[in-house]
Amino acid sequence: MTNDIQRHVTLLKAAARAAKNITTILDPYELFQRTVDIICDEFGFYYAGVFLVDEAGEYAVLKAGRGEPGKAMLKEGHKLAVGGNSMIGASIANRQGRIALDVGEEAVFFENPHLPKTRSEMALPLIVGEEVIGALTVQSSEEAAFHDADVAALQTMADQLAIAIQNSNLHRQAERRSKLLKAANRVGKEVTSILDLETLLAQTVNIICEAYGLYYAGIFLLDAEGEYAVLRSGYGKAGKAMLSEGHKLKVGSESMIGACIAKGEARIALDVGEERVHFKNPHLPHTRSEMALPLIYAGKALGAVTIQSSEENAFSEDDITMLLTMAEHLAVAVNNAGLIEELKEAHNEILRNKVFEALTTASTEAIHWIGNKTLPISVTVARLREEIADGKVDLESLKEDLDLITESAVQIIQVKEQLIGAVRETRPRPVLLADVTQTALALRKIPEKIVKIKIDPNSRYVIADSTQLARALGNLLQNSVEAGAKSIRFTAGPSEERGFVEITIEDDGEGVSDDVMQKVWSPFFTTRGGAHHGLGLPAALHVVSQSQGRMALVSRAGEGTTVAMYLPGKNVTMEIPQSGSVETILLIDDLDEWADLFSDLLKGTKVKLIRSADLKNLPPADLILLDEHINSLPMLEILDALSQADLNAKTVVVTAAINPERVTQFLRGGIKDVTLKPYTGKEVGEFLMYK
Amino acid sequence: MTTVLLVDDEKLVQRSLEKTLLRAGFEVITAADCKGGSESFRQNAGTVDIVVLDLNMPGFDGVPKSGAGLDLLEDLKKQQPNLPVVILTAYDEVNKAKDAAARGSSAFFVKGREQGLVELIQKILKET
Repeated sequence: MTNDIQRHVTLLKAAARAAKNITTILDPYELFQRTVDIICDEFGFYYAGVFLVDEAGEYAVLKAGRGEPGKAMLKEGHKLAVGGNSMIGASIANRQGRIALDVGEEAVFFENPHLPKTRSEMALPLIVGEEVIGALTVQSSEEAAFHDADVAALQTMADQLAIAIQNSNLHRQAERRSKLLKAANRVGKEVTSILDLETLLAQTVNIICEAYGLYYAGIFLLDAEGEYAVLRSGYGKAGKAMLSEGHKLKVGSESMIGACIAKGEARIALDVGEERVHFKNPHLPHTRSEMALPLIYAGKALGAVTIQSSEENAFSEDDITMLLTMAEHLAVAVNNAGLIEELKEAHNEILRNKVFEALTTASTEAIHWIGNKTLPISVTVARLREEIADGKVDLESLKEDLDLITESAVQIIQVKEQLIGAVRETRPRPVLLADVTQTALALRKIPEKIVKIKIDPNSRYVIADSTQLARALGNLLQNSVEAGAKSIRFTAGPSEERGFVEITIEDDGEGVSDDVMQKVWSPFFTTRGGAHHGLGLPAALHVVSQSQGRMALVSRAGEGTTVAMYLPGKNVTMEIPQSGSVETILLIDDLDEWADLFSDLLKGTKVKLIRSADLKNLPPADLILLDEHINSLPMLEILDALSQADLNAKTVVVTAAINPERVTQFLRGGIKDVTLKPYTGKEVGEFLMYK
Repeated sequence: MTTVLLVDDEKLVQRSLEKTLLRAGFEVITAADCKGGSESFRQNAGTVDIVVLDLNMPGFDGVPKSGAGLDLLEDLKKQQPNLPVVILTAYDEVNKAKDAAARGSSAFFVKGREQGLVELIQKILKET
């Protein structure tokens, strides 16, 4: 085989290997760079470069070049006129490969300072079907390096390269399309799931910019008059700045947005720098392509979206189709969010009306109440002044007048008490429901025989302030009694709501009508006439709310009333309290649940508990505990016995509901202290340490 | 002697006003609700010169009702169209006053300003 033939065979084999490698590369930039490297490595050429024809078909633009010369020329944006006198320009124009064997002498060659050693050059057109998409330059530092036969061999490789470039473009398009579809899908999915308008708009511009990799996106909505498109959300710093300026564009103006809304169709400016219609925006200096998409729902323009790219010709047909679909989704979402806003506004209006109604009802009742309570005082005082002035004061009449004034004053003071109770500092803790209920009954002087108490062992404790809870329960029980109840059922058990205890007070009293039901929670509303303040139920609700609970009431005229109270429950473990200096305690109490609990809690300690109610023979003890609401003995009798035995200084009165007036009375009588009952091991421990 | 029918469900209000009217020299008949007021008026036919009645009190069915006094006003006016009636109320409300006037009341008297009640009754009786 001659050298020429051998060289040609080597060239063909190298061309085949190069083509095989090239066709597997899909990324266009990798494809170009690997192509020039493969050609130089396989054939041992000095230089190779890939040119692609620009969109206008005017220039062949260098896309990849071997080594440092390639890099330098790429940096310079090296391009050659199609049809010019360069090898590349001519090969593209003529759709034929060209050889210059001693390039220094070839007139067509443009002397390139980056490639001083070039002595032979081959330019091969890259042809796909009928279209010349670019050209390949191959250069050798040897003179007459290429033969005519080599052109055919390398042209085959160039043809493979052209196909690979086309494949890469198709792949890129498919990939971009897939990415766009995913982005459009995300936009569609995310925007329709956001119901708050402001969040929706802010999220949408972020999603659009992130998903499509865009420079800027903004959403304009029409003002109430439909005169201006007002920017409601904008991407990044530019968006923030324009929002703070209150950026708005007149509908029907020259601006892309204004025109797009007026015509109800998308507007696209692919090089906005040259587009007359584009509003030059100082906040967005890099915009080179802009699209304005109308937001139309049911034939009505709601606003428009502006989408901007820093690249020229940034939007393909696919992009436009996808973004239009996205704009349709957005229009639906904006419309829905608008409806939700309207609904919210309507709801708020209803709420405002209801609140006003409730306040008005409360105030009306309060006015009525105050008027009725103060009238007897003012009328009586005025008459008495006249009687005194006339010197005709009748003692019997005066006594009655004083009673009238006193009774009115007492009722006013009762309201003050309910109000003071509500603002009193609360101390929520686990409290023994049975004990607090018993205290409530005692305080209201409600006979225990009409109340049937049933408390589930798992609902013995609720979290509440025992004083406040006794007041709330007392209010409810008193309401039942005043409604003429002959029987009251008090039950407590686990609520359906986990961790809560449901307390129900069911009576067979007169019940209330539907009309009255609407007002029962209003302060000062009462159906019981003048002697009532109408604060019992609202005050109970206040107490329960303070303990994070809630209340409900059902009633029918003539069929009784059931009030339900839901309070947080507590499982209290019987931990052993720490003992203090007290060794013996005498407990004067009924045989009730708290006394049993206290006794149980002390069993693990060194404290000896004596339970006795024998006042004539009080056993010695370090500390005497006396339940304030003992039923089995009259309190006065007990206090007298303690005083007689000189035991007041050792006596502590314990109660579920502490009251400053009663505390004062006990202390003035010489009692050591009055304190809240301990309900847990920890509290008993603290109690023993303190005492 | 002038007789006043005083209708109010508030015991203390009723008694204190009754004593004031008695001291002013009126005869006073009292009732505590619409039904009682209507019956008292019928039973004392021809003797009652003027009625002072509360606006909010138990109605004819005995159930407390806002504006029940207006029902009694209508009832009394049916029995005696020229009867002077003073509406006594805790509410300082124009619409309620207009409503009462439309039903033929002679005056609308707001509780808390009652020092002038005796003078008002005397003035109304003089005019009629």
